[in-house]
Amino acid sequence: MDQNRQGARASYVALSVFVALWILAPSAVRRFNREAFVEFQAPALHLLGKSRDLATFWEKKSRSVEEMAAAGRDLARVNAALEIQINKYEDIRRENVRLREITHYNVPAEYMSVVARVATRDSSSWWQRIVIRKGRKDGIRPGAPVVFGNTVVGRVTAVHLTTSEVDLVTSPGFRCTAYLEGDEQNNIVLVNGVASNSLGTAKARVSVIPRDYSLLAGGQPTRVFTTGMGGVFPSRLILGYIDGGTYATQVGNFKESLLVPSRDLYNLQEVSVLVPLHQNPGEALIQGEDFQ
Amino acid sequence: MGWAWLILLLATYPWLLGADLASDTLASSSLVFFISGTCLIAPCRRLKRWQAVLFAACLGFLFEARRPIPDGTLALCLVAIAIFLSSNRPLMRNTPGMLRVAAIVNVGACLIWFVASSYASPAAATDLAWHLSLQLLLAGIVGTIGLLPIALTQNAVMDRLNVPPAPDTP
Repeated sequence: MDQNRQGARASYVALSVFVALWILAPSAVRRFNREAFVEFQAPALHLLGKSRDLATFWEKKSRSVEEMAAAGRDLARVNAALEIQINKYEDIRRENVRLREITHYNVPAEYMSVVARVATRDSSSWWQRIVIRKGRKDGIRPGAPVVFGNTVVGRVTAVHLTTSEVDLVTSPGFRCTAYLEGDEQNNIVLVNGVASNSLGTAKARVSVIPRDYSLLAGGQPTRVFTTGMGGVFPSRLILGYIDGGTYATQVGNFKESLLVPSRDLYNLQEVSVLVPLHQNPGEALIQGEDFQ
Repeated sequence: MGWAWLILLLATYPWLLGADLASDTLASSSLVFFISGTCLIAPCRRLKRWQAVLFAACLGFLFEARRPIPDGTLALCLVAIAIFLSSNRPLMRNTPGMLRVAAIVNVGACLIWFVASSYASPAAATDLAWHLSLQLLLAGIVGTIGLLPIALTQNAVMDRLNVPPAPDTP
């Protein structure tokens, strides 16, 4: 029995020494350790995602040929209409670039779109994130915006070899500038995720709303758009809708409101990561070791 | 067998993955299906102390790897718990004792990661008591219900590895 107690005491002493060493160890050691455990889990996450895809494949395969033919025909029509629109927008884009060059206006960042499947979702009061099945190997970089269609999903926070972690719009670590729909003065507001307190829908906070701003009439949901400033998110992407009304803050001449994401972020199967073609100065800061 | 802890960790991993899947399903409610504390009980009954310590550390690091928790917080706390449990094996001599310890350890470990996350989080939060209570309640229930199937798997693996049955002293 004494031997047991002595052994336990020695173990606690060894643990205390290890804790001290762990605190004093360079952050590279801790980062390497974290990375090793992430990579250990990555194959299982891929397997999980692929088995989900397989289940979807078999579910779709069980549909009738007539149903699939009808879906294919509808898709072809949509594609034809979209091709016309793409040509139209290409002309506008060229015109825009030409005008920007003439006026020496800042050229907006260009992005490479990487489509990624969602492997798993994870949320608590302190984080709301998804893991996607694309990583460093596919050219994804930390800080890259993640979208679905024209809706912002979040931002890449950590990149591993074959997987990446994405902080959702509602996650406490998320921050972004935005415009409100119907605001003709284009006042800039701030959107940041809030720690989730309930079992309800996760929301973000919209702050620095000017006092004289009023929501759209007729109960129409007010959309919140990205500004494109800072070079992280392209402009005019939808961040979500203003939830309910606005309320006055205790300090300053501003109002606040809550933002509901325009899509159910926990039901997404696929997202697009917009990787900037040229690294912007902000990315260097994001890649710092304290960024999590 | 020196590598028994590693093989046991690999055998336990499907349960951790299952918990991640359950967390995925619960994602819209902001609750985490936490079982790391429960997975520690059976190994602490039978493995040598140093093996239980390594097992606990890996278990903690696996949970921390993909979540914004200060590095090593949960892992080192689980190690401390593993040292305590492997030094006090009579606490887990019978099934009711194991169930009691599983619930306490799982709830305790859950509380540790919750507090550690709040420390690392960039945003302050108010009125968290309700959410914390729900999270701890879930951890307690999962810890108690999940113990039997998890311990069954782990004991089967330890039997195959010829790990001696649980002694009263290490």
